[in-house]
Amino acid sequence: MTSVPLVSVFSADDSTKVTAKHIPLPAVFQTPIRPDIVSFVHTNIAKNRRQAHAVNPQAGMQHSAESWGTGRAVARIPRVSGSGTHRSGQAAFGNQCRKGRMSLPIKVWRRWHRRVNIKQKRHAAATAVAATGIVPLVLARGHRISQVPQIPLVVEDKIESYEKTTDALNFLKRFGAFEDVQKVVSTKVVRAGISKQRGKKYRVRKGPLVVYFNENAKLLKAFRNVPGVEVVNVTRLNLLQLAPGGQLGRFVIWTQSAFAHLDKLFGTYRYASVLKDGYQLLRPLLTNPDLARIINSNQVQEKVQPAKTTKVLHEVQKKNPLKNTKAMDRLNPYAKKQRAAATAAIKANTKGTKKIKKNKALKKASRAAFNKVSAALNDATKAAVQEEQDIKVKYFSVQKGAAQAE
Amino acid sequence: MSQQVLWEVVKGNNAFLVKRNGLTLSTDPFNNTGVQTYSSTGFISKNAVGVVPTQGKVNQINNINLVAKKSTKFQQADRKAKNTQSVYASTLAVKHGVHTASRVIRKRFGTSRLGLQKAALRKLVKLNRANAVRRRNEIAAAKAQKK
Repeated sequence: MTSVPLVSVFSADDSTKVTAKHIPLPAVFQTPIRPDIVSFVHTNIAKNRRQAHAVNPQAGMQHSAESWGTGRAVARIPRVSGSGTHRSGQAAFGNQCRKGRMSLPIKVWRRWHRRVNIKQKRHAAATAVAATGIVPLVLARGHRISQVPQIPLVVEDKIESYEKTTDALNFLKRFGAFEDVQKVVSTKVVRAGISKQRGKKYRVRKGPLVVYFNENAKLLKAFRNVPGVEVVNVTRLNLLQLAPGGQLGRFVIWTQSAFAHLDKLFGTYRYASVLKDGYQLLRPLLTNPDLARIINSNQVQEKVQPAKTTKVLHEVQKKNPLKNTKAMDRLNPYAKKQRAAATAAIKANTKGTKKIKKNKALKKASRAAFNKVSAALNDATKAAVQEEQDIKVKYFSVQKGAAQAE
Repeated sequence: MSQQVLWEVVKGNNAFLVKRNGLTLSTDPFNNTGVQTYSSTGFISKNAVGVVPTQGKVNQINNINLVAKKSTKFQQADRKAKNTQSVYASTLAVKHGVHTASRVIRKRFGTSRLGLQKAALRKLVKLNRANAVRRRNEIAAAKAQKK
C-alpha cells in the first residue's frame, strides 16, 4: 500500500467541524477480515460468562426402590418399596420413569469455560476492529448509519469529560448516531421463554460502542443510561462487544486518543505491537482481493487465450423435421427448394383451379337448398307449436268453464 | 473492500436478508431485484444505484429516490452538498419524469452490467407508473372535494 488512508477527527460540539484533518488510519483497520477466526473465538469466549448450574444430585433418587426381578409380570425397572400409598410399586430411578432422575445428570464440574489461544483471540479482536471501519459490514450488521459523517467515526477527546446524559444524547444526535439508539429503543421486546422470569425480561439490541482512552474519563456515567450504547476503554476491547453474536461490524465511535492508541496496541505491519508482547498483525493471503480487477487486468488478459465459442451440435430439444420446416432445412438444405417447386407446381396446375371454381358453384347451390329446407322446417315447427298452444287454451278454458259451472 | 471478500462475510447473515418460503430475499435499498445474489447485492459493491420509493409529500409528482452508492473508502460525507448525503450513499430525488434518473442509471452501470442496469430501469419504470396512478387519484380526489 503506497498511500495510507486518512481519517478526520471531528469536533465534539459541531459535526461539520473537523479538528484534525488527516490522521493516518491505524494498521489494525487494514487487517484481513477473517470471519472464520472471529466466529471460532466468539463461540468459545461466549461460554466464559456462564455460571455453573446443576441438577440436584439426589433428584429422583431419594427412594429405596428395588427391582422386583423376573416372574412377576412387570417390567424389571426398580420399583418403590413399601405400601399404603399410590407411589408404592411405581417405577423409579430410570430416566424413562415418571419422577425418575434424568439421564446423565448435569454436574457442577461440567467444563463451562473454554480457553482460546492468545494469538487467536488477538487476531479476532484485530479483525473485529478492522470490520468496524468497513461501511458495508456495519450496514450488514444492521446499524443505522445513514447520517453518520464518517466511518470510522473519530471524535475529539472532549466527549470523555461528559458527565450529563443530556450531553451524551445531544452528541449522539449531532453525529447521526441517534438513529441507531432509536432503533434499539423501538425494538425492545419481552424475551420469549422462561428467562424473563429469571431476570432477563427484555431483549435489547446493540447500539453504538463508544471507545475512550483516559482512565479518569467520566463519559461512562453519561452514556450508560442511553439504551443500546456501550462504553469501553481501548485497552480492554472485547470481541463480544466488537462483534456481538460473532457478527462483524459494530458501529464504533472512537475518541481521538483511543484511536491513536490502536497502533501501540496492535502494532503495525512494520513494527510489532508494543503492548501485546510479540504480537504481529495478521497478513492477508491476497494483498489485492479484488478478483474481478485481477482477471480483467492487462497483465492477465495478455496471457489469457481467447474465449472459446461453444459449438452447438444440436438443439436441446429435438424438433421433428417432418413437421418443423426449419428443422428440415437444417438437415437437408435442398428441402426448401423442393417445397417451393411443389407449391409452384400446384399453382400451375390448371385443373386444380377449375376444381376450385366448380366447388364454389356447388357450395352456393347447396347453401341455397339448405336454406330452403331449413325455412320449411321452421315454418312447420312454428305451426306445430301454435297448434299445441291452441289445444291447451281450449282445454283449460273448458276446464274453467266446467269449474265455474260447478 | 473487495466485493468478493465482503460477500463471503455477508452472504450467510446480514440485516437485509429475509428468508421466506424457501426464498432468499433482500431488503437492501441498493438491490433492485429483491433477491439476494452476489451481483444484485448493491450495498457491498463499489457502484450501485438503488431505486427507492419514499414517503414523499402528497402533491409531489414522484415519490422515488435514486440512491447511489459512494466509494466508502474512508470518505467523509459532504454536509454542504445539495443532495442529502451520507457516508455510503448520495440521494437524488426523482421529481419530474424518469429521464434524468434513467440517464444516471445508464451511466452508472454502463455496458458491462446490463443485467443490473435493466433491473434498476425496470424498477424505476414500475415505480413511476405506480406514482402516476397515485397522482391521478389524488387529482381526482381534489376535484371531488372542490365540488
